[in-house]
Order: sequence, then structure tokens, then C-alpha cells
Amino acid sequence: MSTMLEVNGLNKYFKDKHVLKDITFEVKRGEIMAILGPNGAGKSTTIRNIMGILYPDEGTIRFPQHDGNGIPQNKIGYLPEERGLYKNVKVMDILLYLADLKDYPLDKAKERILAYLKKFDLEGKENVSVEELSKGMGQKVQFIGAIVHEPELLILDEPFSGLDPVSQDIFKDEIRRLRDEGTAILLSSHQMNLVEEMCDRLFMIQRGEKVIYGSLDDVKTEYANFKCTIHGQNDLALLQSIPDVEQVETDGNTSVLYLTKNVDPNGWLQSLPDGLHIQELTINRVSLHEIFIDIATDKRLMTEEGEFDA
Amino acid sequence: MRNSLKVAKWEVKRNLKNKSFIIGLLLTPIIILAFAFLGNWMGGSSDDDGEEMTIYINDEIGLLAELNEFAAESGMEWTLLETDITEENVADELEDAEETTYLFLNETNLQKGVIPVYTSDDVDSHFPNQLAVLQGPILAYQMEQLGLSEEQMVALSQGVNFVGMDVDEAAGEESGEASGEAASEDDFLAKLVPAAFGGIIFMSIVFTGMAIFQSASQEKKDKIAEILLSSLKPGELMQGKIIGYFVLGLIQAAVLLVFLIPLVMYMTDIELFKYLFVPETLLYVLLALFNYLMFSAIFVGIGATIEDVTTSGNFQGFVMMLPFLPFIFIGPVVGDPSGIWAQVGTYIPFTAPGVLLLRLAILDVWPWLEIGISLVIIIVSTILFIKLAGKIFKVGILMYGKNATPGEIWKWLKA
Repeated sequence: MSTMLEVNGLNKYFKDKHVLKDITFEVKRGEIMAILGPNGAGKSTTIRNIMGILYPDEGTIRFPQHDGNGIPQNKIGYLPEERGLYKNVKVMDILLYLADLKDYPLDKAKERILAYLKKFDLEGKENVSVEELSKGMGQKVQFIGAIVHEPELLILDEPFSGLDPVSQDIFKDEIRRLRDEGTAILLSSHQMNLVEEMCDRLFMIQRGEKVIYGSLDDVKTEYANFKCTIHGQNDLALLQSIPDVEQVETDGNTSVLYLTKNVDPNGWLQSLPDGLHIQELTINRVSLHEIFIDIATDKRLMTEEGEFDA
Repeated sequence: MRNSLKVAKWEVKRNLKNKSFIIGLLLTPIIILAFAFLGNWMGGSSDDDGEEMTIYINDEIGLLAELNEFAAESGMEWTLLETDITEENVADELEDAEETTYLFLNETNLQKGVIPVYTSDDVDSHFPNQLAVLQGPILAYQMEQLGLSEEQMVALSQGVNFVGMDVDEAAGEESGEASGEAASEDDFLAKLVPAAFGGIIFMSIVFTGMAIFQSASQEKKDKIAEILLSSLKPGELMQGKIIGYFVLGLIQAAVLLVFLIPLVMYMTDIELFKYLFVPETLLYVLLALFNYLMFSAIFVGIGATIEDVTTSGNFQGFVMMLPFLPFIFIGPVVGDPSGIWAQVGTYIPFTAPGVLLLRLAILDVWPWLEIGISLVIIIVSTILFIKLAGKIFKVGILMYGKNATPGEIWKWLKA
């Protein structure tokens, strides 16, 4: 797989605030790479630097498949987080304008637009004014605008925000299909469950710093440790004395025990002390969602350090 | 540049498909025409009242034919008739008469130098002054009686006039005088027509220039700026808008002229095109162009700082008023086109194009040095404002959700 985008040692300061710290990652052809992080972590800032809307203070952004200087704007499709369309124009007109700005042949664009409108349940809406569309329809039109020129690199900033579940599925399917056709896709999100379903690799960011970078499988094996939730009145000291317990969180009568990485659940269950008060006990793997919450709330129970070979 | 032209094309197309723009486009000339007709109608009716007059002349020296000819040449709507009524009976005759005057021309009166005028009650008290146009033939008759030669008569009838002269203009005046009085109306039109043409373009594109503000602000409100900026540079977007709205301004001017030119040609017998295609027109259009570029740059920059016009602060409101600054100068400049106010106006970037246009339309001799300095000021400040607007636009257009404060704008300018 050839690399479409290479971000290396990106640093960005807003006044004295260091908002991006040494961000390094790459996006390859035919993969979905996700930038994850809570609000304000620096996802959109990273993307805006890639798009040339902001300029990095340090570091480089390269497009290895592009010979010339600068950003190959015509080969990139971009759906910004803050997005909208002109209100009083027709759907077809605005989409053709966006295609024209990308130097894409207009007759071909027209064909593709009609096909996509049909695919997204917007058939016959091409001559409707944008202001008459519902919010969801508008987002679909924006999405078409981002992909109409067959981009080789597609950058989607929070593509699912504000979408209903049906539209989310349509978007997910289309993004996967584009990936399978060889498009390199970089998407940012704070909705872990959606990303978990579709991304190949992920880059988790908090306060402008990398927290995790690697393939979804690696991240899961590395971080998705077992955790044991016990309902019952127990002494914290007793819980902490159980072997292979890394961390204990208690909330009233509920205690969550985070287990060490290579623990064997069967053996561990047998090692539970006799005095333990158990009304209910569940044992399962930590989800990406919890890792995310863990990072976002700065507990850092699970992710002390994370680095994988991508 | 290619991208700018795409943006320009889009802006033109988008506006031409917009109903409110089309309505505005057609409404502007209609309003102007309505005012022209209204003014003409009101002005016309008052003219009629004053001029029609029946003048009875008790002519003992036989000048009636000559006077009649003279009055007609002067454009007076007078009817001159012979009468043999005596001064004693005039009062009775005038009692029921309207718009009627009696003159008594005889040797006795001429020698005294006083010609008695009796008017009906409704005649304006200033009317006897208007009769001064008839002085010429009468004086000529007098001189003829005195046996003066034709040369002597010409010298006398010229009289002595005190005329205020401008030192700068003295040189030009001499050559101008030779062409004589007949050419004065011609001169006036020759100056007026190109200036009016420039003025129309000037106004049209100032108004469309203000639409550019709406456009930039709307871009922010609709949050499409970032999508566009993934395809082109902020400078290209700004340039495209400026070019696009310039074309729209020209379309507005063209529509206006399409309505106006036939009307002017129909209502008057001015040979418009003869006066229009002169070098002056080029300078006026150039002034209009620079004025447009300067204000459109300012507007596109300020527009990029405002998302919601209703909550924008005083600062932006003040900037919006800038194009109307030249109007403040109209009074003083018309009063004294070479005065201090006129000169000050010529050197302030915001007012220079407008004031210069006005002055050049009024002045007989163009102050080339001032024009030169003013043009330099206009060109330099236009370039400067485009640069500054570019800086504001680049940051402002992406700042969603709030209006920029003057402090923030200042910061961007320094960056």
C-alpha cells in the first residue's frame, strides 16, 4: 500500500499555547485512518494544517504521490467539521461549482452527482434550492461535494456528527466502499463506536499529544484488557490485594477491577479471596469507548504509553 | 488567477439567478427615470408660468421687427405687438389684462434713457429686468442715430466687464475665449457627458461593491468558506469575489445606460456619443474602477469579519459609511472647485475618486499636478487596502460563530 499522506513532527502554537505536539502519522491508499480524541484535542487543527488552511509552526506535511510543491488540492476531498452550503442556489449548481473548482470535467461530474443523489435517496432533488433541504439532506449533499471529483485522499472531519442512524449507515457504507476502491481516507471523530466498526488504524490524540497510534487490532490486543465488575460491599484494601489487579475503581457498591494484560480469566476467577461479597460479577474486555473515556477524562488508568508499528 | 475567474463566474451566475438581484437591477434605473420625469414635470410647469408674455409696444421709431427677432433668438416666449395706445390710457387697458406689458419707445424716452414699462398685476416685479435683452437693438439704434461707425458700435456695445480670473487658469482662458460664446453650451456638455457617464459607473459599482460585503458575510454564515478553501487559496477567493462583483456592477451600469441613453436622446437633442468618446471618459472610468477596487477590498475584508450584521459593532458600521464620504464634499466642491475643501477631498483616499470626478466635471482647466498626486494616492491606497483586506479575509472568513472585534482585526493586520 502506497502512502498518500505523511505528517511528520507537526507542532502548532496558538500564541503561547502549544496546541499540537509532535504529531506524526501517515495515511495509506485503501485504508481508513481515524483521528480520535475528545473535543478540543486538536483533531480539526491537525486536519486544517494538512489542508493548508493553517500553517504548521514546525514539522512537515508531505503527499508522496504528488510530484509538485504544495497541496494537491484537486486530488483531495475535504469535508470540514464546520460545514454548510450556499442557501439560495440549486443543489446541482453548487455541486458543479465545487467540481469545477477541483478542475474535474463537468459532464462527468454531472453524471456522478446524479448517481450519488440517487444512491443517497435524493433522486430528483438536483434542481431544488439548498435552503429547502433538511439538515440531513444537506449533509449528504456536502458529502457528495467532497467526493464528486474522485479524490485519492479523502479527509472527513467529524463526518457523522448530527446524522441520524440511517444516514450514518449510508455514510459508513460509502466510506468503506471508497476505501475498497483504493481511496485513502482520514477521518476524525469522537464517536468511538462508529470508528471501531470501520477504521483500519487509529491515532488517538489528547491535548495535542499522541496517546495511541496503531492498527485497530493492535490497539485492541494492547489495551482491551479484561476488567471485572463486582456488585457487592467490599473493602478497597481487600480488592487491591487480589493478584493481577492493576487498578480499582469503586462507586458505591460497584467496584471495577482492571486486570493486568496477560491475565488468564479462568485462573484469575479461582484466585478470588473467600471473604469477597459478590451479588453480581461480570468479566469482559475494555472497549475502545472506555479507553477513549479514560483518555478524555484524564484518568489514564489504561493508557500509560502506547506505540505500535503502524 | 484561473481559480479566481471560476469564483468570479460563479458569483455572477449566482446573482443573476437570484430574484432579488434581478429586481434590484431593474428597479435602480426605473427609480432614477422616475425621478428624472418627476423633476422634469415639476420644473417644466414652473418654467411655463414665468415666460409667456404679450408685450405691446408703442413704437415711434420702427424697431419692432428687430426686437421681435432678438427676443425670439434669446429664447423668450414673448409675443411682441404694435400698439398706438398712449401712456394716459394704459391703466384702463391693463385693468383686466393678464401677462401683458406695455412699452413706449420714442425719441424723448430714448434721450432720457428711460423707457416706461407698464405691466398687468400678475406680472412678476422682476420682469422689467428681463426686458434688458431688448437693450441691444435699442442701443444700436441710438448709436446709429449718433452716426457712429460699425467698429465704434461694436467697441461700445461690448461695454466693460470686471471678470474674476484665476491665475492658474489665465493661460487656458485666453485660448478658450477665442471660440466665443456660441461654443459655451458645447463645452458644458463636453464636460458633463463624460463625467455623468463616469458617475453612473461610479455609483453602480459602489452599490454592487456593497453587495460584496453581504457575500463575504454570507459565506461565513453558510459555513462554506472552508469547503471552498480546500480547493483554492483565500487570496483567490477574495480576488474572484472582487472581479465577480465588478462584472455585476458593470452589468448594473449597462442596464442603467440602456434605459438612460435612449431617454436622454429622446428628450434632448444632445449628441451623446460625440461627447462620450473622449479621453476624459477614460480617466473618469479609471477613477470609478479604482474607487471600486478600494471599497470592494475594504468591504470583502470587513464582510469576512461579520457573521451576523445585526450584531455587528459600530466599527463595521462606520466602515460601511466610507463610500458615502465624498457626498459630504459635494457642497463645498461645487461652491469652490479649487478651494481648500476640494483639495483636501482630493487627497483623502476614501474621497479622492469621487471628489476628483466632481471637480474635473466642474473645472474648466484641469489641475494636472493635483490630479497626478491624487491618482498616486488612489492607486497606492487601493493596493494597500487590497493587501490589508487580504490579511483580514484570510483569518476572518474561517472564524465561525462570532463577529471579530476591532482589536482582533488589528491583530490580524499586524500578523
